[in-house]
Amino acid sequence: MNKFRFLVYKDFLLLVRDKAGLAMMFLMPMLLVIIMTYLQDSTFHAVHESHIPLLLLNRDTDSLGVAIEKQIAQSGIFDVRKTINGEPVTKENLVMAVAKGDYMVGIIVPEQATLHIRKNVKRYVAGAFNGKALSSVADSVQIAIYFDPAIKSSFRTTLMSSLREYAVRTESDFIFNEIIAEVNRLSPVPVADVQLARNQVIFTEQYASLKERDKIPNSTQHNVPAWSMFAIFFITISLSGNIIKERDDGSYTRLRLMPCPYAFYLFSKIAVYFGVCVLQFAALMLLGVFVFPYLGLPSLDFGIDYFALSFTCASSALAAIGYGVLIGKVAVTHQQAAIFASISVVIMAAIGGVWIPVFVMPHVMRLISHVSPLNWGLESFYAVFVRNENGMSVLPECAASLLFFGLCTGAAIWYNKRKRIDL
Amino acid sequence: MQAAIVIKNLKKTYRGNTCPAINGLSLSIAQGMVFGLLGPNGAGKTTLINILCGLRSFDEGEVNIHGYSLPLQWKEIKTLIGFVPQEIALYPMLTAYENLKFFGGIFGLRGAVLDSSINELLFQFGLEQSKHRYLKNFSGGMKRRVNLIAGILHRPEILFLDEPTAGVDVQSKNVILESLREINRQGTTIIYTSHYMEEAEMLCSRVAFIDEGKVACEGNPPEMIKQQPDCASLEMLYLQLTGKKLRD
Repeated sequence: MNKFRFLVYKDFLLLVRDKAGLAMMFLMPMLLVIIMTYLQDSTFHAVHESHIPLLLLNRDTDSLGVAIEKQIAQSGIFDVRKTINGEPVTKENLVMAVAKGDYMVGIIVPEQATLHIRKNVKRYVAGAFNGKALSSVADSVQIAIYFDPAIKSSFRTTLMSSLREYAVRTESDFIFNEIIAEVNRLSPVPVADVQLARNQVIFTEQYASLKERDKIPNSTQHNVPAWSMFAIFFITISLSGNIIKERDDGSYTRLRLMPCPYAFYLFSKIAVYFGVCVLQFAALMLLGVFVFPYLGLPSLDFGIDYFALSFTCASSALAAIGYGVLIGKVAVTHQQAAIFASISVVIMAAIGGVWIPVFVMPHVMRLISHVSPLNWGLESFYAVFVRNENGMSVLPECAASLLFFGLCTGAAIWYNKRKRIDL
Repeated sequence: MQAAIVIKNLKKTYRGNTCPAINGLSLSIAQGMVFGLLGPNGAGKTTLINILCGLRSFDEGEVNIHGYSLPLQWKEIKTLIGFVPQEIALYPMLTAYENLKFFGGIFGLRGAVLDSSINELLFQFGLEQSKHRYLKNFSGGMKRRVNLIAGILHRPEILFLDEPTAGVDVQSKNVILESLREINRQGTTIIYTSHYMEEAEMLCSRVAFIDEGKVACEGNPPEMIKQQPDCASLEMLYLQLTGKKLRD
């Protein structure tokens, strides 16, 4: 056991004296978590709080055009402009300005939009009073919306959904008022000026929780565990590099000629890097709890199941370490290990749902995601941080991570033995 | 004199090669000897040392070290041998003392015994003033000396040295060779490879010229030179036996 202690102490000293390596293992993940959480949080706020430049060409001078303009202006999302550099907006310069990216959105309300709607309403009301069948063809009003080609489709969908909501509201208000006016004109008994009561159907938005304790999922609850998983797996670069360096400079050969079991050598590295992973994870969690509020981000809520949290952290760390050990054993050069480790971790993160949620992936990719160790860790973390599940629920994913660790370590030991005998 | 190492008809061909690296080599090395393995590049010296240390397997033959057979009793053999590789097999980010404490600890030395052994050898090799400096800041000669100490810290029965003086200054070389003589006087058998014939002639009690995986000639250096009247030195004998053609 003393030999194991010597090995652990040596690896510890080498690790703490490698300042660049420490920065890579601690500061870079912290920076990554802050940036990614901040970006995702601001993307959410971008739609709801920022003033998106919108160019409006309202050719309808009547009430519908005015109502649309008013609704958009009151939404608070858009910064409505009706001139370009002091020049009045035309269809041509509107399209040009949006295409160039000067404005994200351009809207053209056509001429006589109000008149068309009024005509339709008149027909409906007259038909209803006379009992005549209506022609199915109605005069529709086409409002053209132009988008900056550079904006992402997800952002475009969000904007469209907001615009549609305002359009439907305006349209229903307008049609309702027109119907009342038309009915009053035709009916011997005038209908009172009915105010349209809004919000008769109210949606209450809440997240389903398995426990009574309320935990509101937010960008922090999603991003800190996701990017922590990513950071934990990036330890493979440092670990595999450490193994290759020892092999290249001959100190591993010297160690092999000493009366020291290979298992001691391997498990000393596992022990030291396990400590690093735990510290890294703790640092990221503390960052989420104590630093995020100062950056205007929601504070991280640990949840109440510390067993599930610790078990998930430990099993994910071991999975990453096993993977690093295997790469370190099999790779021939430091560059080979660094490139393979980083790219494979990025791929596993991508298919594991760190960047894009698994549920939006195509069916095949959803199936593939189940073989990514990052997905197992991520699902476990979500169970703790977002779904409020208990410790037992994370056991399958944690068991998969531990099995992955066992397989990788076993393969590394087998490869080491084969290499020694067969060369 | 009892044999420290007995090699019988050893054969080794690397995978994918048709030409054997070791081709029926037999050798007996007596205990307490400084034995030089000399030969051109690619002759099979490093392969032979690696096989003797248990770092490489072999295809045919027998290898006995202090009565233990390779590869079956490698664990027992590991406790008897010391190895000083050609490269500086140490940790640059540890101090000389930390490096030696680590390797000594792995060899099972502990506490005061380990400390006194380290300090004694550091003094012997003129490194006691620099023992708390990181190895990365050492000169080439200083690193070579620490590299040697790491191999002899546990007082091995047999010491394997692969070009221990390659690229060092005259002073460091002198200290290393003197120390090797001292270690040998204390009873350690030394197996040594080098390209410096003059050095081998001075240090070795017996040498073997290895070429094409076989022993081309073996004996006591002065006697070997004496047997070839047209050779005035070991280097001339070496060239006569192995030829002047360049080797890869």
